[in-house]
Formats: sequence, structure tokens, C-alpha cells
Amino acid sequence: MRSAGLKVIAGKEFRDHLQSRKFHLIFGVFLVIAVIGLIGGAVEYQKQLDDYNKNLADVSGDEFESHSFFSWKPTILSAFNEMTTLMTTIGVILGIAMGFDLITREKESKSLKILLSHPIYRDEVINGKALGGVAAIALAMGIVLVLSLAVMLLFGIVPNFEETVRMFLFGALSFLLVFSFFAIALFMSTVAKDSGSAIIYTLIIMIVLSSLLPIFTYGSVYTAVFGQPPDPPDTSSMTHYGGYGGMYMTSAVAVDAEGMVSDPEVDEAWQEYEEKSRAYWEQRQAVYDTVSLLSPTNNYQRLAMAVTNPQMAKMMMNSYDPMSADEEIPQDGFSALFALLGDMAKNIAALIITPALFFGLAWVRFMREDVR
Amino acid sequence: MIRCEHLTKVYNGVPAVDDLCLDIPEGEIFGLLGPNGAGKSTTILMVIGLIEPTSGACYIDGTEVATNPIEVKRKIGYMPEDVGFYATLTAEENLEYSAKLYGMDGATRRKRIPDLLSLVGLEGVTKVVGGYSKGMRQRLGIAKALINEPKAVILDEPTANLDPQGVADYRRIIRETAENGTTVLVSSHILSEVSKVCTSAGILSHGKLVASGRWEDLARAGGSGHVIIRVETKAPMPEFSHPSLISAEYADGHRAARLVAETDICDAVAEAAGPAGIRRLERDEPDLEDVFLSYYHEEATS
Repeated sequence: MRSAGLKVIAGKEFRDHLQSRKFHLIFGVFLVIAVIGLIGGAVEYQKQLDDYNKNLADVSGDEFESHSFFSWKPTILSAFNEMTTLMTTIGVILGIAMGFDLITREKESKSLKILLSHPIYRDEVINGKALGGVAAIALAMGIVLVLSLAVMLLFGIVPNFEETVRMFLFGALSFLLVFSFFAIALFMSTVAKDSGSAIIYTLIIMIVLSSLLPIFTYGSVYTAVFGQPPDPPDTSSMTHYGGYGGMYMTSAVAVDAEGMVSDPEVDEAWQEYEEKSRAYWEQRQAVYDTVSLLSPTNNYQRLAMAVTNPQMAKMMMNSYDPMSADEEIPQDGFSALFALLGDMAKNIAALIITPALFFGLAWVRFMREDVR
Repeated sequence: MIRCEHLTKVYNGVPAVDDLCLDIPEGEIFGLLGPNGAGKSTTILMVIGLIEPTSGACYIDGTEVATNPIEVKRKIGYMPEDVGFYATLTAEENLEYSAKLYGMDGATRRKRIPDLLSLVGLEGVTKVVGGYSKGMRQRLGIAKALINEPKAVILDEPTANLDPQGVADYRRIIRETAENGTTVLVSSHILSEVSKVCTSAGILSHGKLVASGRWEDLARAGGSGHVIIRVETKAPMPEFSHPSLISAEYADGHRAARLVAETDICDAVAEAAGPAGIRRLERDEPDLEDVFLSYYHEEATS
């Protein structure tokens, strides 16, 4: 039979977070910047909406224009772009600040021995601390969502059902991001001897995941490790560069006086080059995708983009994939949203697995903690 | 009430507690004595279920600790040597949290907490524990150890940071607690403190229990027939030499000496010190400190 420990500890931790000065300061700064960003976003949205309506009237009947970038209907959720940046900076700091001293503080104040002398199971202590933190983060994200809605309503913008669902999804993703760094900090709190070391270790992990790992996918580092992209054959050629990140397509023709005639030898060289080039860029994309999965910040940014700006997210996904470059830009609606999130299932899984993994490590470490 | 059977704890191949057997009856105030590093705190941590013994077992009120730690923790109150509380909470809030962890209901908590704060002299103190002195924290530690009305109270170096008034209060509380039938286990390296409050004691040295029992039994057994002679002279006395002499300490420019011998050598001392003009020569009973030092030395030499 379990004791009452989990509920009591979680309740105390939740209250401690809400009464903590660092929580007040960081969350206060977060809210102020978020509100300013949202107000700016709301004003910009109204301007975009006016432009869109005007543009729609100008291009009515034009099939090409009606499917172009300029024809995307503005959404109030674009105001959340600012919030995404905010989450990856102040949100991450909030998660770290809430978690880095949860166990080390008990060690430093010598209260751990007394706490464990109560009739409670040891796992109730770590679970209770995590639960209290999760509840505080959820409350913080809830406040952000309510405040966002309030700002919109203040500007006379009433989100429809789909926009409301997207907002809640954005909130859930933001929660997962903050919880990821909370779990990392909690793990470091079980490993480190004191709070100072715990925060340093957490910041190192944050830098490695957010900044150091992506460096390995950058052009110069990648080519240093995996080699240069294949060189085109030395023939008369036309090369077209396009897309994001340098993906390019090539084609070649041999020309004679009577017009464009295919030269089998040239064609074969170019075909071989195209295959090698495709394999190279596909491998590069695979490495980038895999490394990116390790970064909660990267996963969050991609998913947040999918939720708040699906057209842009789809376009960015296709920029690496010339085969689907000419696919139709998805229309609004849940099917488009869920199709996009389905494509990003790996990112969703990674964003869930990261906090679970670090919490699991913290749990194991704490259960083996020597209380001498 | 508290029973240890062949309790052993080994850290990296070195036994911190070695085959400890102990039986403390209900209502007893038992002192666990020993120098630093003797294994007192390790023993206590095993008794309260915070660490598992390498071999052997502990029982509290007949319940084995290692297999039923939660049940045992309900029966005991514990105060560690380096007692710590939540710095941002008041004494009342800290006790409230502790009481909730014991599953006490609101009505019981509201009655018990002010009583305990009054008992340890912290009633009316509204500041948070972060602003407490070490002595105040120690007082709060005693209150915490008693909050669940335990059958056994285990205190690790309870007077380490207390002022004289705090020590007097502590002794009163412990005696009252024992009178109510609660067993008290006090670990300390301060012999005088343990001797004033405990009814019996055990002596730990290098993880082994070298002696245990009531005070008078320990003193009788620990004396080992050694004779202590105090001598004072008008002029500096020569250094004594005798086959029975174990140790000699000189002071005041060799005008005072404390001699420990295996037999009564007063006559030989009087003869040797006579030319220096004897002012005082008396045979002294060994004090508790001598007795316990002899236990440590015996263990060390064996």
C-alpha cells in the first residue's frame, strides 16, 4: 500500500514553485514579453488580413496566384512565432530554474535525511517533486494561453475552433519543451553535489543539445566529416540551384547545329552524377534529421511551426525534397494539420522521450542515492 | 524494543559496523558511545531503515527494519546529527509538513504541533527556519522526532549545538519521554552528556560493541582493577618508575602528578616523593572517562 507521501510532497513542491522568487521573476519577464509580442502580432495580423482581402480581390480568377505564397490566408497564430522564440529562451530558462536544485537543495539544507526518515517510499520523493514541477509548468503554460486569448479578444479577434485547437497544441508543445529542460535539470540535481554544479551541468547539456549538436550538420563540419558533394561531369552543362540549404538539381544537354539532341555518353555521366548527388544530399538530410531529433529546442521549433504556420512548415520540409517540391500547398484544416504532424511523428516522439528519459535517469540515480 | 542481531555494514571491504548485537528494552534511555568514526551513525541509519545492512538484522518492536521500513518508520522518531529543515518555512510549517507525511489528520496536527513547539521552547517564534541558530534547529529536530508519538526515539548527537539551557531542556524532555514508556536511543561521543541522561550504554569502537550494560556494571568491568594515585609536592618530584606503573602525567613543574598503576603503589610513591615534601597523596577512583578510555584502548590493542 502506498503512503500519502506522493500527494503531500507534490503539493509542497507545487506551492514552493509558485512562491519561489525566481519563478515569479522569470515567469513575470516571460509574460510581459509574451503580451507585448502578442499585441504586436495582433496588430500585424489585422494589417495582413487587410492586405490579404485586397490581394484576393485583385487576383480573383488567377489559378497560379491563388495557390502561391501570397495567397496564404493570414492566421492569428502567426503571432505565436514570437512566442516560439520566447519559449526556446526564457521558457527553457524557466524549466532549468525550476529543476536544478530540487534534490541538491535537500542535500544542502540537510533535510533529505529527515525527509526519508518519514514513512514514505523513496520513489514518492522524486515522483512528488516531478509532479509538483509538472503541475507548476502546466499552470504557467495555462496562464500563457489564457492571456493570449485575452489579448486576442481585446483586439476583437475571435479564434475559430481550429485556431483554438492549434493554440492548445502550441501550449502542449511548449509544456513539453519546458518539461524537457526541467527533467534535464532534475537529473543533474540528483547527480551533482551542490546546486552550483547542478546548474552548470544543466547549462552544458542545454548548450550541447541546442547549439553544439546542430553544428555537426552545418555545411563545413559535415563536409569535413563525410566529404565533399560529388563534382558535376566536365561537359557543357546547365546547373540550377534552388531550395533551402543548397539542394540543387542539374540537367545537361548536348547541342548541335540542328537543335537539342541527346548525347548518350553525356546523359550517362550526368545521370550517374545526379544519382550520386541525390544519395549525398539524402544522406546529409538524414544526418541532419537524426541529430536534430536529439535537440528538444529543434523539435519544438519544427512542431510549433507546423501548428502555428503549417504552410510555411510544409514548404520548409519540402525544400530538401525536390521530388515533392511541386506538390500542392496544403489547404487549411485539421486534415492538413494532422498530415503534417504525422510527417513529424519522429519529432513528436523525441519531444516526449527526452523528458521521459531524463526523468527516468533522475529516478534511478535518486533511488541509488547514498544518504550517509 | 530495539534489537540488533549480528548487524554488519561493510563499505568498500571495510566494516563500519561489525557483528553488532544489541537489545534495548522498552522505556530505556540507552546511550551509544564511541569516538568519531566508531560506527554510531551507520548503526542508527540501519536501525531507522535508511541504509540496508550487509548482513544481520534490526528489529523495532518486533518488526524487521529491512523488510518493513515503512511500518518501522511509523514507530520511530529520528533526529540526525546534522539536522536540517526547509529554510523558507517556519517551525510550525516544517512540523505541519512532517505531520502530513506521517498521515496525521488536521485536528491532531493542530493540537500536537503547538504542544511540541511549547515543549522545546519555540512557541511564538514566527521567523522562518533559515534564520534559526543551530541550537534552535536542534530544538526543532527534537520536536520533529516526537511528532508521531513514536515508540522509539533515536537521536544522533542531540546536544551537539545546544546551549546550557537547551541541554537542560533536552534532558528533561528525554526523561519525560522515557517515563511515558518510549525507548530512547542516544548516540554521542560526549560521555558526560550520555552519563547524565542515559540509564544504560553501549560502547562502540571500530564498529564493534566492546561493552554494554548499566552504568555501574560498565564502570566496574571497565575499571579492570587499575589504581589512580594523585600526588602533590612542595618541590619538584622525580619521575616515578615502578613495574606496576601504567602511566604518569606531571603538571605544575613536576609538583603535581596523576599516576595510573596496576596495583596500589602508594607506599612506593610516598617513599620516592618524600624528599620533595608531600603536600597531598591520595588514591582516586577511576572516573567514567578513564573507564571508557580503557575500553577503547583495550579494543585498539586487541
